[in-house]
Amino acid sequence: MKQAKVLIGAVLAIVVVAGLYFINRYWIVPATVVHTAKAAGNRPLAPDFSLIDLNGRKLDLADYKGKVVLLDFWATWCGPCRIEIPGFIKLQERYRDQGLVILGVYIDDNAESVRDFYREFKMNYAVAAGDQRLVELYGGILGLPTTFLIGRDGRIYSKHAGATDVSVFEDEIKELLAAQPTAEAAAFKQAGEVRAAEQIELGDPAEIDSEVPGVNLSKLKPDQVALFKKVLEGQQCNCGCKLNLLKCRISDRACGVSRRPAREQLEKFIKPTV
Amino acid sequence: MQRSAFQTMQQIGLALFGAFVLAGGALAQSSIPVVEVKTAIGADGVRPGNSLKVAAVASIARAYHINDHRPTLDYLIPTEWKIEPSKQVSVEKVVYPKGQLKKFAFSDKQLSVYEGTLMVGVLLKVDRKTPPGTYALKGQFIYQACNDHACLPPKTVPVNLVVKVVGRGAAVKRANADVLNNVQFD
Repeated sequence: MKQAKVLIGAVLAIVVVAGLYFINRYWIVPATVVHTAKAAGNRPLAPDFSLIDLNGRKLDLADYKGKVVLLDFWATWCGPCRIEIPGFIKLQERYRDQGLVILGVYIDDNAESVRDFYREFKMNYAVAAGDQRLVELYGGILGLPTTFLIGRDGRIYSKHAGATDVSVFEDEIKELLAAQPTAEAAAFKQAGEVRAAEQIELGDPAEIDSEVPGVNLSKLKPDQVALFKKVLEGQQCNCGCKLNLLKCRISDRACGVSRRPAREQLEKFIKPTV
Repeated sequence: MQRSAFQTMQQIGLALFGAFVLAGGALAQSSIPVVEVKTAIGADGVRPGNSLKVAAVASIARAYHINDHRPTLDYLIPTEWKIEPSKQVSVEKVVYPKGQLKKFAFSDKQLSVYEGTLMVGVLLKVDRKTPPGTYALKGQFIYQACNDHACLPPKTVPVNLVVKVVGRGAAVKRANADVLNNVQFD
């Protein structure tokens, strides 16, 4: 009787161990792999740009590969942007030697005001004027400040919408600086709660550089593009601008109201009803 | 049934220009309008040589503010309603209310701002020799909105006016007193 109990116990133990092995082999491990792959996939490469800074120097994002880049979209008329700047100056000073580069891109502002501010605050990092294309490449920036942290591997690790405490940036910068040059900071986690406005969504260059802004025309041949533009010219825009759909898309490329019907027209154009 | 002041204004063909028109700035535009501007005209017509009170009524979304016409700090973009005068209709006075002093997380000082509903009054004067008819005036409402932690781009929206000039002996009916009584023209 005692032997039978030992036998049953041994069989149960083997079943449990085998079960745990199969659970681990076919369930937990693949899930981990998928999660890691997904995490890397969620970190898009920062769109390249080339700007001229206030001192006339060329500012190419590609030149900073292997560095950690804090990219700050800001303006002098924006109080929440101004309050962040002294913190950025300190961060640049503290972490420059370890590979931190801060880039300020001013938006909807004039160079003279920015120059005055630059001198007054003794800014110690490059500042350049941004444009519509850059804003769209970075997913369309709804408000200022908006700050992106780019890792040594050139990927965007976090986006902060609105004034953010310097300690949040510092924690994230330290984590990114700790990664090997050009390697992914796999364990990186954005500090605090990630709000909807902080989801990293980038613009599609095929839509941004399109003759009909916001609509990807890459599948059309040149004569089809001309024809499609005529179709849009024949449609009234419903955003209240009183323009046709084509003119509306061109005159106000950020307008979401006209973008959708223009894309719908493209779908119809590509797949005409039988 | 009594009509609202705005309905009256629409019926008599004077101006009402809602404005969500986008400025040409680089920042992307939110689909949620933060400021809506309408106009209120003080009468259904004005005789030559007389004045006419009008107001821009700006509704500012909750949690947002726009800067005072005379902002506390020199870097802030002031709120402004600019109207281009014509030969027939001149702009005598533009009246902005005092803003509310408020403390924000991004500023050490209290800032003077507008929140909720803002009424900007304008006193127009019709030239004595103006014949009856309707006269359009182009206007721009300029503002820049922020909340406690972020700012939206400055915007310039068209807020135009159409003034109906009547004959010297014609009767005119006052309108929009509920709005214009809130503006301190004197």
